[in-house]
Amino acid sequence: MRPFFELLKKIIQTGVGKTRFLMAAVGLGIAMLLILIAIQAHSNFSQLLYSHKNQNETADFLVLNKTITNAMMGQSGKSMFSPEEIETIKKQPFVQAFGLVTSSQYKVVIQAPGELHFATDMFFEAVPDSFLDVKAEDWKWSNGDRTIPIILPNDFLNLYNFGFSLSQDLPQISQETVKALPLQVNISNNQVSEQYMGHIVGFSDRISSFLVPASFMAWANEKYGITAAPGTSRVIIKTPDPSNPDLVKFLADNGYTTNQDKLKFSKTRMIVQTIVSVVGFFGLILLFFALLVFSMFIQLVIASCKREIQLLVILGTAPRQLQRYLLRQFVPLYIIIGVLSLILVTGLQYWAATALAQHQMEVSTLPGVPVLAGIALVLGLVYIVNVLTVRKYVNNI
Amino acid sequence: MQIQLNHLMPIPLQDKLRQRTSDIWNQDVTFQPGNFVKIKAPSGTGKTTLIHYLYHIRYDYTGKVQVNGQPWQAYNKNEIAIMRQQQISIIFQDLRLFEQLSARENITLKRVMEPKPYYPPEKIDEMAARLNVSHVLEQSGKTLSYGERQRIAIIRALVQPFQWLLMDEPFSHLDEENTQRAAALIADECRARNAGFILTDLDNDQHFPYDVHYHL
Repeated sequence: MRPFFELLKKIIQTGVGKTRFLMAAVGLGIAMLLILIAIQAHSNFSQLLYSHKNQNETADFLVLNKTITNAMMGQSGKSMFSPEEIETIKKQPFVQAFGLVTSSQYKVVIQAPGELHFATDMFFEAVPDSFLDVKAEDWKWSNGDRTIPIILPNDFLNLYNFGFSLSQDLPQISQETVKALPLQVNISNNQVSEQYMGHIVGFSDRISSFLVPASFMAWANEKYGITAAPGTSRVIIKTPDPSNPDLVKFLADNGYTTNQDKLKFSKTRMIVQTIVSVVGFFGLILLFFALLVFSMFIQLVIASCKREIQLLVILGTAPRQLQRYLLRQFVPLYIIIGVLSLILVTGLQYWAATALAQHQMEVSTLPGVPVLAGIALVLGLVYIVNVLTVRKYVNNI
Repeated sequence: MQIQLNHLMPIPLQDKLRQRTSDIWNQDVTFQPGNFVKIKAPSGTGKTTLIHYLYHIRYDYTGKVQVNGQPWQAYNKNEIAIMRQQQISIIFQDLRLFEQLSARENITLKRVMEPKPYYPPEKIDEMAARLNVSHVLEQSGKTLSYGERQRIAIIRALVQPFQWLLMDEPFSHLDEENTQRAAALIADECRARNAGFILTDLDNDQHFPYDVHYHL
């Protein structure tokens, strides 16, 4: 086949519009690079999010409630979750565990002992124990116990220490002291009032509420409950990844809110994903145009050698031979472009991995399988388009 | 390889040809393999047209040209190409050399078109020597005289395997001596392959020991 192709080289001039061809090649190179960068950026990002090396306990607990709007004010029923809504939340793929937040249906007043002169109206809430990370021996209540374990929100102590106490000339209190304080808890309804001891066993960032054990809550609601059990207005979920855009979208779609801080990363993630998608999209557009120019170039070559190709066919050259010859003129260039893009992406990835390592973020130093698959896919596409174009125009001669 | 004509009629010449008798047009003709066939034809009776029909590069006819029992139309382009590389060769009246190639390259093109060449490259020099064109082998096709081109076209047709050789006024540009040499070479090559040929010309001639004569 070789000597025949040597002669074909003299007959079929592929030199026409060489600049155009080279520019299309450069376009293909850039397109390939953009696509590969998009693929690699995407896999880097997932590595940062999900790989074990980078995992700092991303599972998180979110308390969900409905957004209170002006239209809902005064109608507490509207902020309740209906059983159907609760079922829907439970079914979401990003919900690992689900619990109801039960609120107290009685009045609570807490008094600090002795000289502190501190008394406040309060409320309690309870969540299933599995949503808390307090030691089990501290966090239990059984029927007849006069001491109620309580978990305070961290924010509450901060508000007192840095807001209230300074302005009122009261002493600031440490967490240890608070835990040591015997609090007097008055629980009442319209008929009876009883006293219990409150014992602060911990502080929580996770749930911004005054928590008591679920067992106590059930018992006390039964005993002191004024109203019939109201619905649930807050629920708690455990999710592996609070930045999951699906979660954020679900909340927004249903008008639920939660601690926005925990969702903030999701925004960054969406922005990065958008940028990556845009880069990939431009890569695809560019690829499309490169393919178009290649096809036109092949068409031009064949058209400009139409008489020669006709004579070759008359003399007995098989269209198959012509196709093979023409493809052999173009394909090596595509392979070179593929290899160059791979080298460039490898360099970029190495640089990115080094730069990220300085911030304790680990990504692999070499491009992964998706990049190789991307190269194979793009080259495969280019090859198929070329084969189809060559076949079409050679057969039309 | 058998070539058969069934009521073959060129559409453009239809009216003219119906007014005269012909051994070929609108007849059933079978060319027996290995026969040396001479078709004598006055100008304008479709000599070149017939050769082009037989080689399947013109299709404006009624009737059939059957090759190995099948009409040409039954073969696809790749099959036809293989037949042109291995079973049927041609010398065009208008020669059809590539001007951008040298004489040797024009011949080599046909020799190496098949992945396994029929003849080694030295055969070109041997044939060129027999036809007195050794000195022009390296010249570009553009600079050759008609006589030289014709001899190069003859050599090109002979470096491939074939069972039929089609020739359209193959000696029109050659003097008597060169015609004798070319005819001898063609006859030798046909015998070496047990191949036949179909030659069209204007006049009677004694260049070959023809087996069959037709009047177009």
